[in-house]
Amino acid sequence: MIEARPRAEAGVPNCLPEVGCITCGDEAVEMRALRVDAPRALAVCIDADGSTSEVDLGIVAGAIEPGDTLLVHAGTALARLEPRVTA
Amino acid sequence: MKYVDEYRDAELGQVLAGEILATVEPGRHYKIMEVCGGHTHSIYKYGIDDLLPANVELVHGPGCPVCVIPMGRVDDGIAVAREPGVILTCFGDMMRIPGSDGSFLDAKAEGADIRMVYSPLDALRIARENPDREVVFYAIGFETTAPSTALTLKRAKAEGLRNFSCMCSHVTIVPPLRALLDSPDLRLDGFIGPGHVSTVVGARPFEFIPGSYDKPVVVAGFEPLDVLQSIHMILRQLAEGRCEVENQYARVVPYEGNTRALEVLSEVFELRPHFEWRGLGFISQSALRLSEAYADFDAERRFEVPGVRVADPKACQCGEVLKGVIKPWECKVFGTACTPERPIGTCMVSPEGACAAYYNYGRFAREREVV
Repeated sequence: MIEARPRAEAGVPNCLPEVGCITCGDEAVEMRALRVDAPRALAVCIDADGSTSEVDLGIVAGAIEPGDTLLVHAGTALARLEPRVTA
Repeated sequence: MKYVDEYRDAELGQVLAGEILATVEPGRHYKIMEVCGGHTHSIYKYGIDDLLPANVELVHGPGCPVCVIPMGRVDDGIAVAREPGVILTCFGDMMRIPGSDGSFLDAKAEGADIRMVYSPLDALRIARENPDREVVFYAIGFETTAPSTALTLKRAKAEGLRNFSCMCSHVTIVPPLRALLDSPDLRLDGFIGPGHVSTVVGARPFEFIPGSYDKPVVVAGFEPLDVLQSIHMILRQLAEGRCEVENQYARVVPYEGNTRALEVLSEVFELRPHFEWRGLGFISQSALRLSEAYADFDAERRFEVPGVRVADPKACQCGEVLKGVIKPWECKVFGTACTPERPIGTCMVSPEGACAAYYNYGRFAREREVV
């Protein structure tokens, strides 16, 4: 595994919920759909840390099912990820 | 962890590093710009620069959306937040961006009702829960983020929410790239294209870079092996005398983009004639505002907005950092007067900003260079 470098400064406010870059920029996180409200194009999704949030499905093509993995940015699913990814 | 481990394999990383070394021409210096702040963050976080030959230099581009917000736009947001009855909502990273007289966080401490949200949907919920208040969403971000704002505005319109509006500072990626490429003091050999912006716009909009400027572009993912592979693809194009747009991140990025997202964007937004970018100045048609169909939700029409242009602090060299002319540590105030705790320039505020990324993860590399 290529490990992340240690941070240079302990306590530097970075990526903390209060101040960090959670939703903006070009970052997106993988989340798994737990419940889907298809008529409203919304889903409750869970991320790798176990946090759940409401996700807008408005621009993802095809039906989303519970268990699907989504690439989510700022509360909106950008894409559905295939179950297995190859380089 | 699925999706992640396979793109952080250290052995594969060494193999790619070897292939990169075998591809470069000894004696030639290569400058490759990663457009996106997310890539800057990955490069420093995983030490990708350590795996590259000394003659391959990575230059950090203008792809952090908060780093390019000029001070005047921060002041405008604070002015709206201070209007009676207003709740201003924004992403967390905006909170500490310095305006001419403090940040959103400072204004909040002084009594303005400014709340951090993780998504525009959260702002919409706050509006539903506070029908007697005016809830403004301060929207920033590139084309990755703009669909989220657009979908939320469509929901607000469908629900007939009258107390919700948007102060739009969304920006677009192609015009600043063109401005950079037209800059006479920039010498680049190729670009690592923004992966998640491209999930929306596709890879095709970058064809003007090889077409008009003879530079290769590789749209890349954000894991260490994604970035290494994209660097190798750029170097291979240069070695083979090719110049084109390649899509390293094809597992997520459709070459033609997301047509649904593009439709929503064109319904809700229109291009501003011009917009000021911090450090880069005014760039034509480089930002979005609400279309006439959504004029009722435009906070800039609903409230008095000062709209005053504010010059950057003289000591700040964010502009040169954003253009890749200087490295973050070459700025006069880097790490001394300007730190993540007390930023002068926006590049130090956002974790995706080149200066903050270098400060937080790159100090080791700098120490090694000095030694």
